[in-house]
Amino acid sequence: MKSTIVIIIFALFSTTIAIAGDGNSPPPNFAKYLYEFDDCDACGCSASGGGMGFSSMLDRNFVGIRYFYQSYSSRDGIFANSPWVDENFNTIQLWARIPVYKNFEISAQVPYHTNNRALSTGKQQIDGVGDITVLGFYTIYQTTKDSTVFTHTLKAGGGVKAPVGKYDSANNGSVNPSFQLGTGAWDYLLAAEYVIKKQNLGFNAMLNYAFKSKNKEQYQFGNQLNYAGTFFYVIEKDKFTIVPQAGLAGEVYATNRQYGQDVPQTKGDILLGKLGLEAGMGKFSVGVNGMLPISQNLTGGRVEANYRWSVNLNYSL
Amino acid sequence: MKNTLLKSIALLAITLAFTSCSDDDNAVNNVSGTGTIGIEFDNSFAGNDLILNTQPNTTSNGEVLKISTIKYIVSNIVLIKADGSVFTYPKSESYFIVDEANANTHVLNLSNVPAGDYTKIKFGIGVDQEQFNLGASGQGDFLALAQAADMLWSWSAGYKFLAFEGTFTSPTVTTATPFMVHTGQTGTDYNYTEITLDMPSKALVRNTITPVVHIVADLSEIIDGTNKIKLSDNNMGGMGAMIMGGANLPLITANLNSMFRIDHVHND
Repeated sequence: MKSTIVIIIFALFSTTIAIAGDGNSPPPNFAKYLYEFDDCDACGCSASGGGMGFSSMLDRNFVGIRYFYQSYSSRDGIFANSPWVDENFNTIQLWARIPVYKNFEISAQVPYHTNNRALSTGKQQIDGVGDITVLGFYTIYQTTKDSTVFTHTLKAGGGVKAPVGKYDSANNGSVNPSFQLGTGAWDYLLAAEYVIKKQNLGFNAMLNYAFKSKNKEQYQFGNQLNYAGTFFYVIEKDKFTIVPQAGLAGEVYATNRQYGQDVPQTKGDILLGKLGLEAGMGKFSVGVNGMLPISQNLTGGRVEANYRWSVNLNYSL
Repeated sequence: MKNTLLKSIALLAITLAFTSCSDDDNAVNNVSGTGTIGIEFDNSFAGNDLILNTQPNTTSNGEVLKISTIKYIVSNIVLIKADGSVFTYPKSESYFIVDEANANTHVLNLSNVPAGDYTKIKFGIGVDQEQFNLGASGQGDFLALAQAADMLWSWSAGYKFLAFEGTFTSPTVTTATPFMVHTGQTGTDYNYTEITLDMPSKALVRNTITPVVHIVADLSEIIDGTNKIKLSDNNMGGMGAMIMGGANLPLITANLNSMFRIDHVHND
């Protein structure tokens, strides 16, 4: 069973990469890693996790499938009376954290996006495979189990987001520059994760940074910092385990650039609160997660995040 | 294992990054030949997008305007680089009429513009006196264009530089009453003005890049700018506020200098 799923995942990876190669379009968002490899690209979450994180509090290593939804409102125009349009970002994502060798593991995300919005000029929908993120993580420090009250785990790593998702320069105009399937360029990612646990209570802190490069259209999304802190509590029963969790997640975007020039009103930041629950039974687990903005200033106030939620089904490795 | 893998990924990444960079740079760095630039005029009223006829627009004097017509002559376009060097668009081709009611007139497409990084634009509102002094025969096709657009009173009276029309109400004028503001030459003032705007980012004219300079015109500035002009003060006999001459025209012309700003520049 385990090996079958792994094979399926890798088969999908290969297919995706092959499609991307043919299509001359950019690959992935390798950004999602650890518990929160939030990778909401350049405010619109064109590619990848939408701040949902890249890991499970329940399963250290897994393969799974996740659906997440992000609701945005964007101003369709440059004026005070320009209409606000709803933007819906739907993503189905294969995600995995796979141990490779001793203290080294790989995290990967392959998203498929269906995004739509109703502009004054008509409804617009884009769908397709998004940018694929692959990260390697190394466990720098891990407390030996059962020896102390507190256990610590510190991991650090890096990776890439390959531009598989289609980037259309026609969408980088006056509305939401991130209404895209991908950024059209490679990202290089650094990530760190720290987990501290005392008995059933734990706290997960994660930090990651994406260095973004220019795409073929000479557009460069701004570098992105993601951070998150999540408390979780493990309730173990005979046949199942439940892990409620609550925390904060933030994203900071630098200014986008085109032809080496800053694009005005493209930097931004957002802080979200999040609540989640994971339940595991045997090798399988399900999770739900919701996020609401606490404060935000995205693209000069022209884009507002409303909420995000996700569900996932994982198989523990 | 770990190091090898990471190194491989890093090497691959760096290779791709530099490959794509060099492609990009070629397109921008090839500053030769000519290109096209679009100058877009987007009319608004005090921060709101202009909607003709139906939208009430309120001035600081409490007058509420419904605008039916806004047209203006844009002329003598000059593009300026950071080092101060200028490209003057050929004068004979540098007269345009922007008419809110005709979407085809909102973007002025300038062709055969030398490749370069432009940081400012200068243009006139109206027809300059030198051009007018060439006489009717010296106006080329623009005379017919202006006539068709009703932007010419008569040859001797000259061009209307700006036409701003609609209806208004005010605390003292409670029924919707017509207004017309037409600028142009008078017996004492010529009323042509030139405006220079800074671009928030450079317009990169290349044969592969056609920038669009998105200019927002705030119509509230016409009568509610530095100089405040009440329509109700010009409502002769209650027949409507007709401002087409006299001391108000130089004041309105001065207001035009703060009517325009560049919202953004597309380089696509």
